[in-house]
Amino acid sequence: MKTSFILGASALALLSAPAFAADCPIKLGGLAPLSAPGSVTGGEAMRDAMKIAVDDINAAGGLLGCPVELVVVDTEGLPERGAAVMERLITQDGVVAVGGGYHSSVGIAAKDVADGKGIPVVFAETWNDQITADRQKYIFRIAPLSSEVSKIYAQFAATIPEVKKVVILAENTDYGLPASEETKAGLEAAGIASSTFTVDIGTQDFSGIIERIRAESPDMIIQLLTGEATYNFTQQAAEAGMGPGDLPMTCDQAALESGAFWQNVPDGNLCFINAVGLPRALYNDKTNAFVAAYTSATGKSAAESYAMEAYDSIGILAAAITAAGSTEGDAIVTALENITYSGTLGEITFPVNSSNPPEAAGKTPNFWHQFPDPAVTMVQYQEPNQLAADAVVVFPERYKTGEAIISGQ
Amino acid sequence: MDHPQFFFMAILWMVIWGAVGAVMIRRAYFARDLDVTQARAVGVAVGAATGPFGLIPLYLKTPELTRRWRVLPWLGVAAVFTAAFALSDPDNVCVTSGSFVASQVTNGLIIGTIYGLMALGLALIFSIIGIVSFSHGEFYMIGGMVVYYMTEVWLPGAGPVLAVIFACVVTFMIGALFERAFLTPIYDGRVERPNEYAILVTFGLAFFLQYLVQGLSGANPVKARPFFELPKTNIPEDGSILATTRSNITLFDTISVSTPRLTAAVISVLMLGLLIWFLYKTWWGKGLRAVAQDRQAAAVAGINPKVMNMVAFGLGCMLAGLAGAVLVQAFSWLPQTGMIPALRAFVIIVLGGLGSLPGAFIGGLLLGLIEATGVGCMPDPTRAAAYLPAYGMIVLTLVLLLKPTGLFGKKI
Repeated sequence: MKTSFILGASALALLSAPAFAADCPIKLGGLAPLSAPGSVTGGEAMRDAMKIAVDDINAAGGLLGCPVELVVVDTEGLPERGAAVMERLITQDGVVAVGGGYHSSVGIAAKDVADGKGIPVVFAETWNDQITADRQKYIFRIAPLSSEVSKIYAQFAATIPEVKKVVILAENTDYGLPASEETKAGLEAAGIASSTFTVDIGTQDFSGIIERIRAESPDMIIQLLTGEATYNFTQQAAEAGMGPGDLPMTCDQAALESGAFWQNVPDGNLCFINAVGLPRALYNDKTNAFVAAYTSATGKSAAESYAMEAYDSIGILAAAITAAGSTEGDAIVTALENITYSGTLGEITFPVNSSNPPEAAGKTPNFWHQFPDPAVTMVQYQEPNQLAADAVVVFPERYKTGEAIISGQ
Repeated sequence: MDHPQFFFMAILWMVIWGAVGAVMIRRAYFARDLDVTQARAVGVAVGAATGPFGLIPLYLKTPELTRRWRVLPWLGVAAVFTAAFALSDPDNVCVTSGSFVASQVTNGLIIGTIYGLMALGLALIFSIIGIVSFSHGEFYMIGGMVVYYMTEVWLPGAGPVLAVIFACVVTFMIGALFERAFLTPIYDGRVERPNEYAILVTFGLAFFLQYLVQGLSGANPVKARPFFELPKTNIPEDGSILATTRSNITLFDTISVSTPRLTAAVISVLMLGLLIWFLYKTWWGKGLRAVAQDRQAAAVAGINPKVMNMVAFGLGCMLAGLAGAVLVQAFSWLPQTGMIPALRAFVIIVLGGLGSLPGAFIGGLLLGLIEATGVGCMPDPTRAAAYLPAYGMIVLTLVLLLKPTGLFGKKI
């Protein structure tokens, strides 16, 4: 009886063991928009960064004794596509965790799939507050909250003299719509009037809306557009005499891919761009090493915010798997909740979690599994064809490397 | 809107009297054994514009429905709609600013010209071969890509004229070769369901071209430099008549147009003139029109319809390529750039009447104007541009309800 019990228990242990031990290679998923209408510029940068992250992990001996394989999927910036590729990553490719992610609408659609299947996701560049506000067990984020970035926009607009009226141009998505509301509220609190215009994500021709914006006589334009749309709008506005050289204007961070930006927006000088991540002067060893590898691999002059975030999203998952000693979803979540990871964005933690819920931490639910303080700055190109690495940090005061040039004043 | 009741009352007036006109006027013409083909549409327009004041005399007199009858009542409908809009939203920028309206109309006409050129290609293919090409947007994209590579990568010193001509040649050749390789089974009964076959094979070409270009060129956006840059000019000194900057022209301090868009429109109009000359003055053009009118009679007259099919498909693809070639200096360009313009081209050819070449071009202009008006005048600025695709669809639906063959379509 005792022998058969031991044999049975051994058989059960053998059968159940593969569920907890790592199958080699360990597969990590990566979400990136690699086709229009998604932001291809951002997607390609994220893909390249995630590849570098996996190369670094493998060069350091892999995870749990296994090599790591990255499976990057194209979300096309479309929510339905995002949900479908997340399903495929989990059920067909067998990934144990997922990083990356650019468009908020994609993140919102994909997170439910991952959470339902118990696969941890660290979103890199999806800003919509709802991503974390839903308090899902397997969902983490290292990108800033949209509401926090909106505050930066409003605070920055308030520092520019004579700005009394702002036009907000937002894309008609889960990123643009809430962000426009939050920015409007922030501007209102600063005593600045605003009007909001929305456009579809793939809009090419902005001529009609530019005339309508002109009729509003704004003192500043804040763009909440992603990817190529920001190129089209900025250049067409400049041709119509309403560009960054004529009045203060913010551009999407896709402008930080300076090669593509100057080719598509030759009149984009003086645009203000919001950048996530440490300013150059505060780069740590990891940031310096990543920027060196990234610029060497891509030929770019600097690493964009979303590239650093994508790199860290994979790096932090790898660190969590190592800490957990397992690829099992719940173990990775526990490790992530307790992690202090030194990444290219600085020291990343998720202090609001299951053992310190938002109510106890005195935070809104948005901060659930959220990296609380990624550095968000406003930088400005101050010369035509300037490299992103040389763009001047003009806001906030503590990161400032130079004064903003205010066009039209 | 400050007084939405005026607007909705006018809409209600137009719907009710339009419906009464549609039924009553057709019935009156039918009862007197007169031509009823235009009666319903004229009845709708007269009813919507004038209500019983126009309908009763029309019902009693039943005059011959000449072109004047087919056009003037619709202008009346537009006038009623505009007046109701102005009354209900007096502070709207479209009501208060003439210069804004002029700018929007100019921009609408400019982009409409280019839409029209692209749709013309689709209409040409449909009128000769009888198929709808679902790869039309990809030829538009290739036209732009060829100009970008010619002017920025392969021959950076090459002028835009050479690049545009080369784009035309490339798109014509791809179209003609594709027609020879894949569309000939339609003509000689080698496929059981030719229409479905044409849809599938042109869809296949669309995906092939899109991903081929993405594979060769990458997925990052590219853009050609403006074809022409203007010197800074002010006439007179304050620029009140004409003011130009490097990339913009302002007329009478009112109408502002960017030079890349203006250049694109001018080239499109020139090419349209060339196309009309080709179609009406050359043997090949006459041959194409003959095949479009009666394939068998054209064959009897010594015109080879199969060769004309190839020329028509190549020419249609070339027109799409040309539209892309002139716009790559105005917009950022991606392998997926052709998808939205292709959808617009489909709307335009149905609006103008399937197979009608003038209908395609006028439909393009109309769509450009409708979109510009919608974006400019929609009371809620938050939604004005987001509804862009909807404006054309609303007008298309109305036109199809009243005239299922489209504005210039032939009755089947």
